[in-house]
Amino acid sequence: MPDMKMKFLVVDDFSTMRRIVRNLLKELGFLNVDEAEDGAIALGKLTGEAFDFVVTDWNMPNMDGLTLLQQIRANPQLKHLPVLMITAEAKKENIIAAAQAGASGYIVKPFTAATLNEKLSKIFEKLEKEAA
Amino acid sequence: MSDFSGMEDLLQDFLVEATDLLSGVDNKLVELEKRPQDRGLLNDIFRGFHTIKGGAGFLNATELVTLCHLTENLFDKLRNGELGVTAEAMDVIMAATGTVREMFHALEQGVQPQAAEAGLIASLKQAIAGELAAAAAPAAAPAVKTTAGGALDWNAYYEAVTGRAPEVPAEAGQGIPQPPKPDEEIIKAAIGRRASDKPGYSGPTGRRESEKTRDNAIRVDTSRLDQVLNLSGEIGLTKNRLNSLRSDILAGMTGAETLQALDAAVGQLDLLVSDLQNAVMKTRMQPIGRLFQKYPRIARDLARNLGKDVELLLAGEETEIDKTMIEDLSDPIIHLIRNAVDHGIESPLERAAAGKPEKSEVRLEARQEGDHIVIVVADDGRGMNAEKLRAKALEKGLIGNEEANTMDERQSFNLVFLPGFSTAAKVSDVSGRGVGLDVVRTNIQKLNGSIEIKSELGKGTTFVISLPLTLAILPVLIVKLGEQPFAVPLSMVREILPIVPGELQEVGGRATMVVRGEVLPVYPLNYLIGWPQEGVPAYGVLMQAAETNFVLAIDNFAGRDDAVIKSLEGFRPKGVAGVTTLANGQIVLILDVKELLGELGDNRGVARQALLPAAALALAA
Repeated sequence: MPDMKMKFLVVDDFSTMRRIVRNLLKELGFLNVDEAEDGAIALGKLTGEAFDFVVTDWNMPNMDGLTLLQQIRANPQLKHLPVLMITAEAKKENIIAAAQAGASGYIVKPFTAATLNEKLSKIFEKLEKEAA
Repeated sequence: MSDFSGMEDLLQDFLVEATDLLSGVDNKLVELEKRPQDRGLLNDIFRGFHTIKGGAGFLNATELVTLCHLTENLFDKLRNGELGVTAEAMDVIMAATGTVREMFHALEQGVQPQAAEAGLIASLKQAIAGELAAAAAPAAAPAVKTTAGGALDWNAYYEAVTGRAPEVPAEAGQGIPQPPKPDEEIIKAAIGRRASDKPGYSGPTGRRESEKTRDNAIRVDTSRLDQVLNLSGEIGLTKNRLNSLRSDILAGMTGAETLQALDAAVGQLDLLVSDLQNAVMKTRMQPIGRLFQKYPRIARDLARNLGKDVELLLAGEETEIDKTMIEDLSDPIIHLIRNAVDHGIESPLERAAAGKPEKSEVRLEARQEGDHIVIVVADDGRGMNAEKLRAKALEKGLIGNEEANTMDERQSFNLVFLPGFSTAAKVSDVSGRGVGLDVVRTNIQKLNGSIEIKSELGKGTTFVISLPLTLAILPVLIVKLGEQPFAVPLSMVREILPIVPGELQEVGGRATMVVRGEVLPVYPLNYLIGWPQEGVPAYGVLMQAAETNFVLAIDNFAGRDDAVIKSLEGFRPKGVAGVTTLANGQIVLILDVKELLGELGDNRGVARQALLPAAALALAA
């Protein structure tokens, strides 16, 4: 059972999308959500305060989601953070790139709260196993 | 999530944000015209479509997703350099962008957008498949899959790459190249693309049709609406003030103070109402840049076909113009640009011989001048030769010898607006069909605008279109026949002159006046509308209509007015554009002078001599 108070960072340049993800997380009971407009801003926030989970879009200006993921994994303080990639990208290479960069999960738009829940559960399961 | 109920907020957010994005994409597409290799631009456009697709997915707007997906795929190939930015590809992309916009409008009205035209989808797929037959598979398949089984598929991939339970069949399925397209489809797609080179391409036409159907939906900046609200509030206050003054006056308080207050209130109301009119008009205004942005491509394609190096420079894209006019201006401007590139600009050899730079410029410019919008299409080409134009018109029998001899330079230039006039010795497939420019002028005049030519031999030609800010309010000159007022569009009026019977002359059997060396026919208004002649007209209004200037002879005039045009529902008498109400409540016909002149048809020069009363002729003699 995940901690419902865990803090999410939703990263997307499209504010509508941030709102959608925020609402879906709310449906699942996660209320502690902050937002960032692109990878660069997200990285700033992540290094500034403590987050427990990152949900990021792939395609963004300034710094895209993949770079953000790589930066997180390269940072000793952040590398443990679970990162769920959200994208409308329908290409095999992308998912391989995401997996190689160390994404905890990959979810394709559009999705429902149920799908998001399923993905999150899988990640939590994996984290628990690793912790155990 | 099966319809928009419960998602209105989301839908609104999406539309506002996505519309901005799309405008950004539009502008970047124009930039792309200039820098087709710019990967940053390609990437930005790619991301625009990608983001719209992502949001649309949550709204279940399947058709929008499909279209954006295909466009995005195309841009993916473009940004990766797998495909080049070709004119054909740009055609398809422009059409796709237009369709996305239409879909937004459908969403705005709360309905799921219809599927994009099959031709457009086929063209997109064709463009994507263009060079890489094997890579065509993801283009066709995921369009459906992203909405149906997309998540599952990706799950499979993810598991596969992360080393868990690899699902080979799914991957294999994706790898299978698309079966070769049946000939029929290829031909259809090919025809679709060919059609896109013609003005009557289904894409833009479709857009226009839908524009008509959604005429009642306009996106208005809230600050403009606030201004309307604010002004109507103030008018309400002024009305209250007037009401109280009326009570005072009815109660017998007619002192200087009351009257002064009344005067002030009415004056204020006057100001507020005209402000309100302006504010309401502004809600209909859109930047003309939306119209301009498609022209650079047209100009470039055309120049390339003709072996010329032409750059279309845009200026004043932010100039705002009535929404209904934007659509109606599209074709006239295309004609003018084609004309400039085809006829105005010299061949590279000629340019070199004249010592001009090889690259020529065509300027398309818009600006507001007072209560008019001015649109300029200027080239730095060979300019017009008045003499040649006259010779040409003579040869074609469009004007008589006598007319040709009396024409000044400006009149000669205007000959190009005559139906059937074409100076190109050889009819090209782009312009020079001899129908272009007269249609241009007709269309501009339908918008109550005017078009003028300035040209300097060897330096270039400039077409200046002048349009009213709005079609709803028409500045008119009120003229009078006896006591009956009539309104004529002020845009056609050049000046008002007294008619001195002694100065009336007869040329070729028609009454004429010489104004600063220009010989102008005199048409009494009563003759035009079929009224009997009574007395001698005291004034002449120098008007610019169709291919001629002429003097409209009237009894008197009552000044200018901003007419709010009421159309005559159901019937339209010839020569009457509509009606308006004067300050005193009197109803006035707005005359369609061009139509009245058209009544005279080709016999304009006939039966002139009988028109001016014998008394006037006697005086003149």
